[in-house]
Amino acid sequence: MPLELATVSPLFAEFPFEWNYIRSIVRVSLYVSLVAVALSTLFSLPIALLIGFKEFRGKTLLTSIINTGMGFPSVVVGLIVLFAVSGQGPLGSLDLVFTPEAMILSQFVLATPVITGVSLAAVSSVEQNVRDAAYAMGGTRFDVALVTIKEARYGIATALLAGFGRAISEVGSVLIVGGNIAGADGESYTRTLTTAIQLEARQGRFETAMILGAILVVLVLLVNAIVVRLGSGNGGYR
Amino acid sequence: MLDARNIHHGYGAETVFESVSLSVTPGEVVAIIGPSGVGKSTLLRLLALFDSPNRGTIEYGDTDVWDVSEQRRLEFRRRIGMVFQEASLFDASVRRNAEYGLRVRQPWTDRLRHEVASLVGRTNGTGAEIEALETVGLGEKVEQDVSSLSGGEAQRVAFARALAYDPEILLLDEPTSDLDPRNTALIEDAVLEARDRDIGVVVATHDMHQAERIADRVAVFLENDIIEVGRTEDVFDDPDDERTRKFIDGELIY
Repeated sequence: MPLELATVSPLFAEFPFEWNYIRSIVRVSLYVSLVAVALSTLFSLPIALLIGFKEFRGKTLLTSIINTGMGFPSVVVGLIVLFAVSGQGPLGSLDLVFTPEAMILSQFVLATPVITGVSLAAVSSVEQNVRDAAYAMGGTRFDVALVTIKEARYGIATALLAGFGRAISEVGSVLIVGGNIAGADGESYTRTLTTAIQLEARQGRFETAMILGAILVVLVLLVNAIVVRLGSGNGGYR
Repeated sequence: MLDARNIHHGYGAETVFESVSLSVTPGEVVAIIGPSGVGKSTLLRLLALFDSPNRGTIEYGDTDVWDVSEQRRLEFRRRIGMVFQEASLFDASVRRNAEYGLRVRQPWTDRLRHEVASLVGRTNGTGAEIEALETVGLGEKVEQDVSSLSGGEAQRVAFARALAYDPEILLLDEPTSDLDPRNTALIEDAVLEARDRDIGVVVATHDMHQAERIADRVAVFLENDIIEVGRTEDVFDDPDDERTRKFIDGELIY
């Protein structure tokens, strides 16, 4: 880097260090949120299909519990997960306190009601006669479920988006269970975009906070674009 | 080949029909005529093995289909095709719809390979679905999306979809009640062609003229029961049951 630039702006002088720092934060954020959303999808979709297909007592109640869960305060989730993974909690033996995996767990809990709820609405809107047609043509119950997922693909894409948005942009729970840790070498361990922004802003390093904020927004937009593209195209259906 | 014997069906306390018997053999068209809401659709769903009847038996060949394993029942189900009053197509291309029945019969490895191939580009079908689409005059529209089809074309795709995997039995639930005369004629021609291929067809319809045009035998479904079954001309020209005569003459209003 030319010497003049460094004297013009102290910010530029810090950049080699900053970029490594920022890159590691993005990596942690993406790792935690993508894994959380992926696991939550594997868990939520079958549940949404089951609730959507079956008629049973308490279905309305269960649906409203799921919908209420969408707005559940993330700090409370963080608190519960922290207790669960702490020494005296049921998952204490796994030694997960202040690890990315604990953050995955808390984001899983946060994303699951969103993904289940929105998928459920999408799955329920698939017409019974389309499912009947799949069955009548010799499909098994599993084939009917696959057809339902394909028919509801736009709605399910929206569900994943909403779940990812909820996961990557929340601060409360990852702060509590992850601890916002970065090493002395400037590499993030459990520091995510949101917790870093919060920290940088509080320390008055607005430029870094702004850059992190911009990256977060671009990431969310990018994932949006990819999912919308997949959902609106003929992905996997032709 | 497919025999329903004395079947009773209802939902909860409500009885749809008391004791109904109906059979279909290869290469014949049986029409079930009767007003809307008497249970024709319920009967067809039972014949398609969607549900088990509350009482009575459904036999395929000489096997009670509800007395065998689920896997065995699936084999029977896969010899039956069904077309509903609404086209009920999948949101995909005409080809994807027509080949669905063929795909579900393939082993998982082939299906997976096909799915992956279709992600990269167009894939070629087995040919049977194209043949079925040509039977209903849609050979030109194979690659189109079903959303671009008219109602009549959509119903013809639904028909081709059931025909593509070469079923032994074809169940049609009011297949032309929403269609214009031209599309109705195309479907009726396809029904007769299916009969010539030795497929046994059961068609539920409230259109008595249609029954007269295409059916070898007619079952009259009135008052929650099949009151009369016979050769089409016998039933229409010389019905045994007074209610049949009144229904055909339009004197019975339901």
